[in-house]
Amino acid sequence: MTRRLFRSILFSTALVGAVALVVHGVSGQSAAPSTKNGEWPHYTGDARGTRYSPLDQITAANFNRLEVAWRFKTDNLGSRPEFKLEGTPLMIGGTLYATAGTRRSVVALDAKSGELRWVHAFPEGTRGANAPRQLSGRGLSYWSDGRGDARILYVTPGYRLIALNAKTGQPVQGFGKNGIVDLKVGVVFGNEQQIDLETGEIGLHSTPTIVRDVVLIGSSMKEGMTVTTHNNTKGLARAFDVRTGKLLWTFNTIPRPGELGNDTWQNNSWAINGNTGVWSQITADEELGLVYLPVESPTSDYYGGKRPGNNLYGESLVCVDLKTGKRKWHFQLVHHPIWDHDVSSAPILLDVTVDGKPRKLVALPSKQAYLYVFDRVTGEPVWPINEVAVPPGDVPGEWYSPTQPIPSKPAAYGRPGLRIPEELIDFTPEMRAQALENVKHYKWWPGDKYLYSGTLYNPPIVGNVKGLLGAINLGNASGGTNWPGGGADPETGVVYAQANLASFASESVAPPPAGFSDIPYQAGVVGAPFRLREAAGTGTYADVPRRREAAAPAPRPAAAAAEPVQSFSTVDGLSIVKPPYGVLSAIDLKRGDLLFQVPHGDTPDVVRNHAKLKGLTIPKTGQGGSVGLVVTKSLVILGDPQVTTTPERGRGAMLRAYDKTTGKEVGAVLMPAPQSGSPMTYMVDGKQYILVAVSGGNYSGEYISFALPDVREAPTSSSTQQ
Amino acid sequence: MRSRTLLVGVAVTMLVVIARTTEGQDASGAPSTKTVWSGVYSAAQADRGAGVYTQHCANCHGAGLEGADMSPALAGAGFMANWNDLTLGDLFERIRISMPADRPGSLSRQQMADVIAHMLRANRFPAGATELPIETPALRTLKFVTVQPTGEGR
Repeated sequence: MTRRLFRSILFSTALVGAVALVVHGVSGQSAAPSTKNGEWPHYTGDARGTRYSPLDQITAANFNRLEVAWRFKTDNLGSRPEFKLEGTPLMIGGTLYATAGTRRSVVALDAKSGELRWVHAFPEGTRGANAPRQLSGRGLSYWSDGRGDARILYVTPGYRLIALNAKTGQPVQGFGKNGIVDLKVGVVFGNEQQIDLETGEIGLHSTPTIVRDVVLIGSSMKEGMTVTTHNNTKGLARAFDVRTGKLLWTFNTIPRPGELGNDTWQNNSWAINGNTGVWSQITADEELGLVYLPVESPTSDYYGGKRPGNNLYGESLVCVDLKTGKRKWHFQLVHHPIWDHDVSSAPILLDVTVDGKPRKLVALPSKQAYLYVFDRVTGEPVWPINEVAVPPGDVPGEWYSPTQPIPSKPAAYGRPGLRIPEELIDFTPEMRAQALENVKHYKWWPGDKYLYSGTLYNPPIVGNVKGLLGAINLGNASGGTNWPGGGADPETGVVYAQANLASFASESVAPPPAGFSDIPYQAGVVGAPFRLREAAGTGTYADVPRRREAAAPAPRPAAAAAEPVQSFSTVDGLSIVKPPYGVLSAIDLKRGDLLFQVPHGDTPDVVRNHAKLKGLTIPKTGQGGSVGLVVTKSLVILGDPQVTTTPERGRGAMLRAYDKTTGKEVGAVLMPAPQSGSPMTYMVDGKQYILVAVSGGNYSGEYISFALPDVREAPTSSSTQQ
Repeated sequence: MRSRTLLVGVAVTMLVVIARTTEGQDASGAPSTKTVWSGVYSAAQADRGAGVYTQHCANCHGAGLEGADMSPALAGAGFMANWNDLTLGDLFERIRISMPADRPGSLSRQQMADVIAHMLRANRFPAGATELPIETPALRTLKFVTVQPTGEGR
C-alpha cells in the first residue's frame, strides 16, 4: 500500500510538472461555490439533486448556434480506452474537475479551453481489477473551507476515498492515511464478518455527496442477476469528516437485531443476505440536516427465496439525520424485491406550494416511471400511495408480497407496465396480429384483475425454452428512469425526467449449473445456456492483465452448445412495444399533474428505413435508453441515447433543448456519439458552456463543451437580424 | 421568429454540406468502394466465426447475439444503427482494441474477421464467394450500410 501510494504520487507529480500548471480562480475565493455564480459544485448541480442552473445566455433563440468550444478525449487515462463514459464534471472558480478513463483518473481542466491542469491516478492492481464497478464513474465532489483549503474527493474503483488538493491534485496528507480512507474497512458480510480488503466485493460509481463538512458515501456490489452466493457483502451508507477522513456514522441498510426492520428478514435471514447497496446518488438538505438514501435490491435480483419477508431497506427511500445517521423515516417502494427495480435515481428536494400549502418535498423518479413524492421532513406521501394487489408467483421456495405500493398521483410519466393489447406495436394490422401471437410465449395476466395486464410487479417464472419463456415486465431493470435520474426547477416546482418506455423484459429464473451458487434459482431459462451477467465495464479496469500477462481465464459455467433462447420481443425487427419508445416528461408538483410529455430522440433508423413502413406517416417515436438532463432558466437540455443516420445531418446523436414550460423542442446540435453521461452547464468570464459526456459504439469516451461563437455572423441577404 | 427559422435552415444546410464532403470516405479518408450488401464474406467463414463467437463472445452478448442488460446486442436494430455509415474496419478495430472485454487482444486477426462474418450473417447481409480480409485498411474499404444501395447485392 505504501509503495502503491508512492507510485501514485510520483505519477501525479510527473504529470503536474509536464503540464505547465496554471491555477487560478480557486484560491482565495470566499463565497461558497454555487450554481448561482455560474458554477456546478455538485454532481447534481446542488446537493438537492435538481440539476438546475439559473444561467440564461444559451436560450431557445441561439441554441442552434452552439459550437464545440473544446473537447477532452479520455483514451489515455488508463491502459485502454473506455467506451462508456458516464461522468458529469464539476466547475468551480474557472476549473473543471472530472473522473475519466479505465483507471478512473481525476483531471482538472481549464473550463474555458479544456487545457489539462493536473491529473491524478491511483493504480490499484488486482484490487481494482476485482472491482464490481470498473468504469470511470459518475464523477467526484468538491469541498472548501472558504479560506484556501479546497479539496476534490472521489471513490476509486477499489473503494478507497481519496482527498486531493484542488489546486495541485496531490493527496491531502491530513485526510485519512496520506489522503486515503480505505472504505472496505468496516464493510461486512454474514454476521458482521469483515470482507477481504483485496477481493471483497464492494465499490461505488456514484459520487460522494458533501454537505456541512460531512462526506456521504454509498455502496455498490456486482450485478445481482447471477451471483454465487446470497451471503453477499452488506450494503451501507457512511459519513466521514471532510477534514480528517474520520468515520462519523454508519447506516446499515440491512437492519441488525434490535434495529427497526430486522424482523422483515424472517428466519434471521438478515445474517445470510447482502446487497441493498446505495449506488445511486445521495442527496441532502443542508438546512434541515437530513440525508436521503436511495437503497437498491437485496441479493439476488430475481430470486429472494433465501430472504423471506419484506426485506427493509431493500428498494426503499431512507431519510437519516446528517449528524448521527439515525433513521428519521423510510418508505419501501417495492416489498420483497425480485424485479431489479432498485431505487435508481437521486432524490430531488424541492420547496413547493402544493394546493395552496408550502411544503418541503422529496420527489423520486424511478424505473417504474412513477414519481414518488413525500414530505421530506415526515416521510408522509403528499398524495396517497396505496397498497394494490399484484400477481402471484410460483417459483419453488420464493416468498411473495401480495401487494405493492402504487402512487395515486402524479400519474405515471412513462410505462410502469405494458397494457396488452393497447400498447403493442400497431404500425400495421399485421404487425399487431403478430405481436399478439408473440406475447403468447410469455406470462402476463389478461383482463383487469391487475394493473397493466399484470405486467407491473409480474413475478419471474421458471421459464423454459419449450414453454413460457418468462414474465413480461416493462418498468423494471432497464425501464423508466435509471441512474441518470431527473432534475427540477426549484423556482416553479416542476420535475423533469426522461424515461425509457420500450424496455420489454422477460423475467425468468432457472437452476444455475451445479456448483455455481448457493442460490437455487438465478436469472436464466431452463434449456438455454447459462449466462453469467456482469456489470458494464467488468474486466476493463486499467490493471486487468493483458493477454500475455494473463493467467488462463477462469472457467465459466457454460453449456455453450445449447441453442439460444428464441426471442419474441420484436416484430419484423421492430420493438413489440408501440411508440413512443422514450419520452421527456415534466411533472408540476404544485398540482401533481403532468405538465407535458414529448418523445425524446430521433426516430430510430430501423423504423425510418423499414420496408414494411414505407408510405406510412409515423410521428417521431423517441428512443429507448436512459439519459440525464440539465435544467436552465428557460430550457431542459438532454442528448439522444442512440445514434441515428438521417439525410439531413448524417450520422450522430443530437443534444436537444426543450422549452421547459411547453416541452417544445427549440434547438439541437450534433454530437458524434450518444450522450453517455448527464450534461451540466457553467459560466466563465461571461460565457455559458454546456458540457456533456459522449461515448458508445465505435466512439470512446469524450467530454464535449459547447458554447456560442464569439463572433456573430453578419446577416446574409436571406436572413435578417432580430 | 422568422429569422430563427432561417438560421436553423442555414445550420441544417451547413450540416448537409459537411456530411456530403465526407460521403464515400471513412474516417481515414480512404475510398469505400463496396458495402456489406455485396457478398463480402463467405458462408464457411461465418461458420468458423460462429465457433469463435460461442467460445469468446456469447457469454456477454448472448448465443443469439441478442445482448443482455449490460452488453449490447450484435444483431438487430440497435446494432445496425450503431454501425450504420461506418466501415468494417471501424468495427474490426473496436473489437481488436476492447474485446473480449475481460481479455482484449486474446483473439487473432483471423478470428476477429471470422466473428464479423458471423455477425454479418446474423444481420442477414448476403454471403459471397470471398472471405473478409483481415487487414484493417482493406476492411476500411467495406462500408457498413443498413439500407441496401440500389442495384447492389441481393
